[in-house]
Formats: sequence, C-alpha cells, structure tokens
Amino acid sequence: MNADPTPLIFRWDLDKTYLLSEFESLREMMRIPFERAEDKVAAPGVAALIRGLRTTALGRGRAVRVYFLSASPPQIGRAIRRKLELDGILHDGIVFKDQLQRLFRGKFRHLREQVGYKLTELLKARQAEPPAAREYLFGDDWESDPLIYSLYADVVAGRVAPATLSELLQAARVDRPLIEEAVHLAAALPHADAVARIYINLERPTPPATLRVYGPRLVPSFNYFQTAACLFAEEALSAAGVGDVARELIEESGFTPIRLANSLDDVVRRGHLPAPMADLLRERLAIAGLLPAPARPRYRRWWRRSAPPAPAAPPAPPVEYRALVGAQEGAAE
Amino acid sequence: MPAIAVDAMGGEHGPEAVVQGVAAVSRQTDIDCVLVGDEARLQPLLEATAYNPERIAILHASEAIGLQEEPRAAVRYKRNKASLFVCLREVAQGRCAAAVSAGNPGAAIAAALRELTLLPGVGKAALASVYPRAAEGPEQDTLALALDVGATVRCNADELVRFAVMGSTYARVISRVAEPRVALLNMGRDPLQGDETLTAAHRRLRDLPGINFVGNIEGHELTSGRADVVVCEGLLGNIVLKLLESVANMAVDLTSSAAQRTWRWRAGMAIMASGADRLRALADYASYGGAPILGFEQVFIKAHARSQAPAIANTVKVAAKAARDGLIPALRDALAPLADE
Repeated sequence: MNADPTPLIFRWDLDKTYLLSEFESLREMMRIPFERAEDKVAAPGVAALIRGLRTTALGRGRAVRVYFLSASPPQIGRAIRRKLELDGILHDGIVFKDQLQRLFRGKFRHLREQVGYKLTELLKARQAEPPAAREYLFGDDWESDPLIYSLYADVVAGRVAPATLSELLQAARVDRPLIEEAVHLAAALPHADAVARIYINLERPTPPATLRVYGPRLVPSFNYFQTAACLFAEEALSAAGVGDVARELIEESGFTPIRLANSLDDVVRRGHLPAPMADLLRERLAIAGLLPAPARPRYRRWWRRSAPPAPAAPPAPPVEYRALVGAQEGAAE
Repeated sequence: MPAIAVDAMGGEHGPEAVVQGVAAVSRQTDIDCVLVGDEARLQPLLEATAYNPERIAILHASEAIGLQEEPRAAVRYKRNKASLFVCLREVAQGRCAAAVSAGNPGAAIAAALRELTLLPGVGKAALASVYPRAAEGPEQDTLALALDVGATVRCNADELVRFAVMGSTYARVISRVAEPRVALLNMGRDPLQGDETLTAAHRRLRDLPGINFVGNIEGHELTSGRADVVVCEGLLGNIVLKLLESVANMAVDLTSSAAQRTWRWRAGMAIMASGADRLRALADYASYGGAPILGFEQVFIKAHARSQAPAIANTVKVAAKAARDGLIPALRDALAPLADE
C-alpha cells in the first residue's frame, strides 16, 4: 500500500462532545474545575472511536493527528489530560480558553463568546498543517459548533472572503482584536477544501432537520455509532473500528443490537450514509453478533450492490451565514 | 421486550401527531417502537422533531386506510399494503409485542379479525373504551371501561359474560384495580329486566367466581363510580359512548358561548376558569390514550381517531404496559374456565 503523506486531522470539542459534562446549572458549572479525571465521564463510544480512527489511519500508512479545542479554562487541563490517558487516547494537542486573562482585562461578555475564540484557534492551528491535510471536525449542539465549524471550513476553502468574514464576526459581536486576528489568518491561508465532514453530537433535544441549513457536509449524529458508521463510509474508520464502538455501547451503555440497527437505519434515512455501505457494515457487524442478522432477502442486497450508482447530488447551496449569525444573536438577546 | 408497532398513517391528525407522539415516547421511556407507514412521509416529520433513533424503526407500508373508508373494501383491496394490516402482521408474527392504531375503527376491527388470532373460547372480540366518571373516592380511577362499543352488533349471553371477564382482567392488570366492579348495562337494576340475553347474562355473571359483579347499571349511573367495567353489546355501547361524547362536547360549547354573551357571564367564567378547564379536559376524549380490542392472542390498543401527540404517546405506553404486565396470559387464565362452554 502506498502511504499518503498528507495527514488526516481529527479536531474535537471537549465538553458535551468528548465528555458528558453537566453545566445546565450554575452549581454544576462551578463543580467542573474541581472534578478529578476519574469523575469525568466520556460520551458512550467516543474513546473507542478516537482510538479506532488513529489505528485505521496508521494501518493504512496515513499520518494522523488528534487535537482537542475547548472553551474550558486551562486550569482543568491536568484532569483532562489524565482523563484522556485513562481512556487510552493519544493526542497531539489541547487548546483551552484562558478565561482568567479575559476576566482581568474586564472582558466579561467574552467569557461566553465562542465564535471568535474557536474560529481564531482553528485558523491558527490550520497554519501549521500542509494545505492538502484533510480534516474531520467534531462538536455538539450546545453552543455554536455548527456555525463555527462550517464557517471555518468555508474560510479555509476560500468560499468566505476575509471581508465577508469580518462582517459576519462583527454581526456575531466578536471582540475587535479577535476579528482582526481571524481576518489576518484567513487572508494568509492557502485555499483548500480541507474539511471533509463536520459531526455534531446531538446532546440536546435538537431536531436534526434544524441543522440542514448547514448543508450535507454537516452530519447531526445521535450517538457515536452513527458517527462511526459515516466515518466507515468515508474510509476513515475500518469495520473493526466501528465494531469496537458498537461493542463499547453495548457493554457500557445498555445498547442492544436492535437499537444499534435502528441507529444505523436512521442515519441512512437521513441521507448521511449510503445504503450499500450500511448493508456492508450490517453484514460485517452481524457476523460479530453486534447487529441482528440482516433480514432483507439476499437478492435485494445483491441488487443494491450491482445497481448503477445513484446520480451525483447537485452541489449544495452556499451556507447563509448572515441569516444564521442574525438568528443566533437574536436568540442570545 | 419487543417493540410496539404503531400504525403511523391512522387518525384525524395523520402521521404528524403519531410521529410526534412516538418521538416523545422514544425520549421519555425505554419503549422501542416501529412506525408503520409511508417512509417518504414519515422521515421528514421525524427529522423535524426531537427523538431518540435507537428506539424508533420505520417499516414502509405504501397504502393507508382513510377514516371514511368502508372497512370491508379496505380489507378486500388494501390488505397487503395498508399500514394497519402491516402493523398487525408484525404483532401476529411475533416481531412486535403490541399494535397501536388511531385509524378507522371499523377497519381496525376487520383487520384484527383477519390478521390476529382469537383467544381459546372467544367467539367475538370486543372494542373497549375508557370514559370519564365521577370517582367515589381518591383511590378510585376517574376513568371507567366500557365494552363492547362497536366490534359487534348483537351478542348472546355467553359473549357478554366473556366481555365481562376480559374487561375485568384488563382493569385489574392495566388500571391496577384489585377487584374491578363489573356491571351490565340495562334499563333497570332488576335482574329480570331486559331481554332474555341480558337476564341470562346477569344470572351467569352473578354465579361466576372471580368476578366482582355488581348487577345491572342504568344509563344515568354510567358516570357515577358504581362500576369500573360496564358490559354491553356493541350496538348499544357505541350509541352510549357517542352520546356521552356529544353531551360532554355540548356542555363545553354551551359554557363557551354563554361566556361570550354578556360581561357578567364573562366575569363569572373568568372566576370559574379552572372548573371550565377541568370540564374541557373531561370532554376531551382524545387525550385519554387508547383502549384495547380484547379477545385476541395479541395486544391491540386503539387510540381515539382525534388523538393528538400526547394521546398517542399515552396509548403507546398503555400498549407497552399491557405487553410487559402479561395482559394476554392473564386473559387466557381468566377465560380458561369458560373455554369448554
């Protein structure tokens, strides 16, 4: 196998994406800095997924990098690093948001500001990678991850010009120095359609249809088995890697093969996973006893595989960032 | 427990209410559901609501039976592909634990007779319905069960006795009434009143062990707490139930229209707002969830055709409870002494 020199990059949000952090109340939020690594709980299946992504890439001779980007303060860094170590996660860097520095500068409003902070950090990190490096981004539906990640993908691809970016960040009421920094970074980046997919972990009761405005690049995912299945279709994760995620969900989170099968069918119906890939996965995982045996008659599976490929979907319309930023600011007020 | 098969295309509020109800169940409980219906219509509705995909499967059925359709024609022409039939077949073949439908009641009974198996000794199935009544104490349920309300037209005494046994078992297992009070709907309390069928049924129920038979009940006593289970033949039950519904609706309409006439009425209504809300809630049959079609080896719960999402959710919960708490084995045990008669 010829090794691909361009790395695969997996960028992860921490709270509500990797960790099942509880910050619905002020009390829960105050408790987070004092939690030990052993107290922190990872989302079901996420650790197996990250381990599988690295193993798959390395097995195929591809360089791989795993980064975490968090809006939590660096003071919890030690516990987070220890937690990742306990979960067997090798990573290449974690960035925290220096809340104390903002507090000292009297920037109270920006303590909760995410768009400017995360976008700038993503653009900074992108500078360090070769232009051809492919990225997969993982976030959740709690803050602004869908907007930030989509905007980042389109800035890197050159679909959002620096001047437009500046306007959008102003509309999002981002701190002026951060706007200048983001625009400067965006202007210096070589354009590349680098972001392959954005996976949004549906942690809140968010109807997935509400995220269709971000186009087919963004995949709302109810659990990490759905994410793993889509990454299998993207050839970023092996079937064995998907199996490990399924096994972790069954053994540790009370999933059953039928519930995994329902999850798989759901992501196919929503159009994020091609049916032939799901069939392939179903067969492989059924052999391992992780999914029920496929009930569909054999000829239909054969027909699906031998059928001519579906016509290519028309190109997705551009994301309407002005409307999305406006809606987000409106909701915040 | 296997999943609950839900006919997604039935009911006045169509797939929207059913999908929302099932989505709510998927988020609030550990009940698995199979939505049976036109996948192309169901999927966008599901995506537009918050749901848990682990607990919902969609089984495609290309046809649906409308509320106004003639049941016999539906059985004849839509048997293979209509969501109601597909839904019942899932239960009949053991892939699902219970079926739920808010669709055409006549078609539901016809489809059940075609697809499901009658319990040993049962000649006719009974459509039950819950209705509001004044409880005699805080421990008494505010809903009573009436059966049959439309699966049959005429019945003989044996069939009425079986309806009583089935209704009593249902109230015991599902409503958790330790000794449900069972009454026979008649024109007077005297055991000799009514026709030969009613007098024979009265005699047999009075002597039947395991049944808390309280005698005949008259129309004006239906909404009292005297009986938990009211037994009658389908023609009578259907008329009574619809009359109760229309009287309740009329009371709500009269109160609302009266309140619009003068400012004094309006002020009075404002003071009585909570009472009026309670009246409205009592008259809202669609909010009660479902009632069973009894007599089959399988659980089939029929939701009111006007059911909105919360009522569908309640119906699915009732179906799951019936499957989980062993309604069918309990019915089989209760009917066993009557099987040879």
